[in-house]
Amino acid sequence: MAQAALKAWPTGVKGKKNLPPLTGDKLVRECGLPIAELAVDAADVQGLVFRGYGALPECCYPLLRIEEPERGRAFVRAIVDRVSRGVPAARTVAVQIAFTSLGLSALGLPQSILQQFSRPFLEGMVGAHRSRFLGDTGESSPKRWEWGGPSTPPVHVLLMLFAESAPRLEELLAEMRRTWEAHGLSEIRILRTNPALLGKEHFGFADGISQPAIEGYHPVSSRLHLVKPGEFLLGYVNEYGLYTERPLVEAALDPFGSLPLDVEGSPRRDLGRNGTYLVFRQLRQNVVAFRETLDALTRNPDGSPNRQAREYLAARMVGRWPSGASLVEAPHGDDPTKARNNLFRYHHEDRDGLKCPIGAHVRRANPRDALAPHPGSERSLEVNRRHRLLRRGRTYGPELAPDAVDGEDRGLMFIALNANIVRQFEFVQHSWLVDPRFNGLYGEADPIVGMDEQNAFTATIDPVPVRCTGLPRFVTVVGGAYFFMPGIRALRFLGRLPTDTKASS
Amino acid sequence: MPQQEPLTVLASVDLRRAEALTDVLREMREDPAHNPVLPFGALRGWHFGRVLYLPPATGLEGEPLPPKLLLLGDCDGSARAQLEALVDVGGTNLDRLFGACEGYPSSPSRAARLAFLRKKSVATKANYVHRQGRTVEQILGERELRRALREFVARERLDGVPALEARRRIRAFVRETPRLRWALEPPPPLPLSFRAKNALHATTLPLGLLAFGPAIVPAVLFLLLLVRLEELRDEPEHLRPTPEHVHALTELEDWYAHNGFTAGGFVKPGWVRQAVIRSVLPLIGWGTRHLFTRDSLAGVKTIHFARWIPLDDYRRVVFASNYDGSLESYNNDFIDLVAWGLNLVFSNGLGYPKTRWLLFGGATLEQEFKDFLRRHQIPTPVWYSAYPDLTAVNIERNAELRAGLSGFMNERKAKEWLRLL
Repeated sequence: MAQAALKAWPTGVKGKKNLPPLTGDKLVRECGLPIAELAVDAADVQGLVFRGYGALPECCYPLLRIEEPERGRAFVRAIVDRVSRGVPAARTVAVQIAFTSLGLSALGLPQSILQQFSRPFLEGMVGAHRSRFLGDTGESSPKRWEWGGPSTPPVHVLLMLFAESAPRLEELLAEMRRTWEAHGLSEIRILRTNPALLGKEHFGFADGISQPAIEGYHPVSSRLHLVKPGEFLLGYVNEYGLYTERPLVEAALDPFGSLPLDVEGSPRRDLGRNGTYLVFRQLRQNVVAFRETLDALTRNPDGSPNRQAREYLAARMVGRWPSGASLVEAPHGDDPTKARNNLFRYHHEDRDGLKCPIGAHVRRANPRDALAPHPGSERSLEVNRRHRLLRRGRTYGPELAPDAVDGEDRGLMFIALNANIVRQFEFVQHSWLVDPRFNGLYGEADPIVGMDEQNAFTATIDPVPVRCTGLPRFVTVVGGAYFFMPGIRALRFLGRLPTDTKASS
Repeated sequence: MPQQEPLTVLASVDLRRAEALTDVLREMREDPAHNPVLPFGALRGWHFGRVLYLPPATGLEGEPLPPKLLLLGDCDGSARAQLEALVDVGGTNLDRLFGACEGYPSSPSRAARLAFLRKKSVATKANYVHRQGRTVEQILGERELRRALREFVARERLDGVPALEARRRIRAFVRETPRLRWALEPPPPLPLSFRAKNALHATTLPLGLLAFGPAIVPAVLFLLLLVRLEELRDEPEHLRPTPEHVHALTELEDWYAHNGFTAGGFVKPGWVRQAVIRSVLPLIGWGTRHLFTRDSLAGVKTIHFARWIPLDDYRRVVFASNYDGSLESYNNDFIDLVAWGLNLVFSNGLGYPKTRWLLFGGATLEQEFKDFLRRHQIPTPVWYSAYPDLTAVNIERNAELRAGLSGFMNERKAKEWLRLL
């Protein structure tokens, strides 16, 4: 019986692309399998989880505020069918939506449900301890933020709009604006991105190369990047073999039956399932300071600039060459043929950081097999998989021509998706990037995004470590918030919240 | 080099005077190193120190448990001698701190204070030291050494020089610098008397097992079976810590390279758990003393010191440690590396996530475990570190750097050694 049920599972979807896959609940009914063992219910997940929409280079992020619960819910109802799902994949335009905890509250979500969301989401990205923890101090202090800070208007809703061309994006934005205005939402600001810099960031490096693959959705050849869906989606098994905490709703509060069942078998409904936490940080990059600093550090003895040395030092700070090739694989110079190689590890290839420095940005952001327990082993990778992020950010602001100097605002709209903000985003940001004692280092925060005002970086070891000191801040946080990006059914639930639930809490 | 010993003073507080005590603690928290009540920074050889006030509680059978004052130190040399130093440094100010305690002398003299503190000193059943014999003086000295060597290497442009030649020049520099010359000698070994005592202690467990093995083995199995039966009935509730509690804790966290961790809770009712906790703590004490003696507590390399302290005749247990990095990474290390060890002790605590056979489950229930620890954590505002910028790994690397100044090396060894800089 079980064997027959297993065979009923569509193993290959090739050639059946237009056939909607069975959803989790349907499969349970038809095959008798517990949901946990099934693939991801992609039709209920917002598409951004699975793809960064590289084919839709135009993108902007409206930030909105809900003025009145019922009108906010009407907006959600009006937009829910426009929201792009995992399947079928959006082709010409895409719309995604996410909410801050204030936003969910503004929709009228009862406190009893809201309080079940994760602590950082409820507290928000600002707060004395969190700012200290994330390195959002000094110039990056939230009180100086342009949005999301304590002195700027509260953000409720984040829209993410993608389109294949500029006119299509403007059309989409106009349509969306008509919708939110019709429902009385106010516009806080529209964050624009730069389509010309897709897959590249302002310091001159390819970006977004290393991404985890979601087990049960992405086809992959290597276990290195294959991560359980529960690390990115609530309501699925995570890398501990457990379900991450998520908001569950009494069946009585879901009279329309919008929500999926709780996979763990309680009589409650799962508001979290197929949703994810979205970390948004607007990171301003000071390209002029970056270039000038590198320039000063690499000048020839006669004072003339040494372009080659500058590029080499920049690559060592990043851990990759401009093409994206890893320094582990191409230690002596850029090699675009290796730009997409992403199966390298660190421990056996380069234990001491002779090729790729221990403190290099990509080696800190994802140390792969370099850390305890037992560096170089499967155990090390197993622990590493508990700290992965899906990155979906885009570059903003004009590209700075080589040797040019200007005062333009440019940087990265950093977006990361994860199921456990504390264990994933905040852990990576604090323990790996910001902590100046990462992996035995001393006094060296991340050379690219590290927040120390007086940073240092061990660039080479020959045979003594050669350290660059007095590195300034190159990246400043100018805005940010924690959002929740719900599944489609959860969106329908939010749109149909009863008017008086606030009273019943 | 003297050994490191835990100093624990545990005294019941007279409830009527508890309020004055909280004022004193508030004063101390302003600056644990230099506060006028007990300036930890003035105590020579103190790695870490903390003072805790445990408010009155009600035991599991409804019995009142008086409030308590707990002073902990991780010190060089014997705790007995450190107690004397404490009395000398604290002087009359100690009266403000301990004056609220029951049994404190009404007209305290130096001798009376010392007698009180000795009387209230508790022998630690289980104590972990990252590296036995490494003193505060050595740690601070080796930190200075690293700074000086880094500056020297940068100044002299030693890059590109053969490793052995680079090492030769570094050694010459150390030899010519009077304030660093000590580093050419390896640190002296632990005192012979300590090593002899330790060696003797090491034999207790194997000898005990040998002598009483035939009786102990069936008893342990029987106890384990009883534990298993209790575990099957156990239905701990997964509660999240309140935002206020978390806030009180995070306010004090992540200012330095490491944090102090203090947690306490009730032991589950019944003689079975009493028997387990009373045998497990000495067992862990033996393990930390003889097995986990080289920079790692069962694989966790980020703990400087840790200890378990039973209270109220084992009705409660307090765990205190000093760990590197964030609580999240500490908890992750617990779960990923040493879940069994945590389960062994903490699963005897009320409300701990469900375990199987004392060692399995429990801490591996990630979220539930993290919430359990958070809920049982006790805010510890009066906490002192002698080297707040150093992780245990930093200290270890500094020690290796110093060790490499003496002895013979070939080119390959010298190359590896230089990478420590």
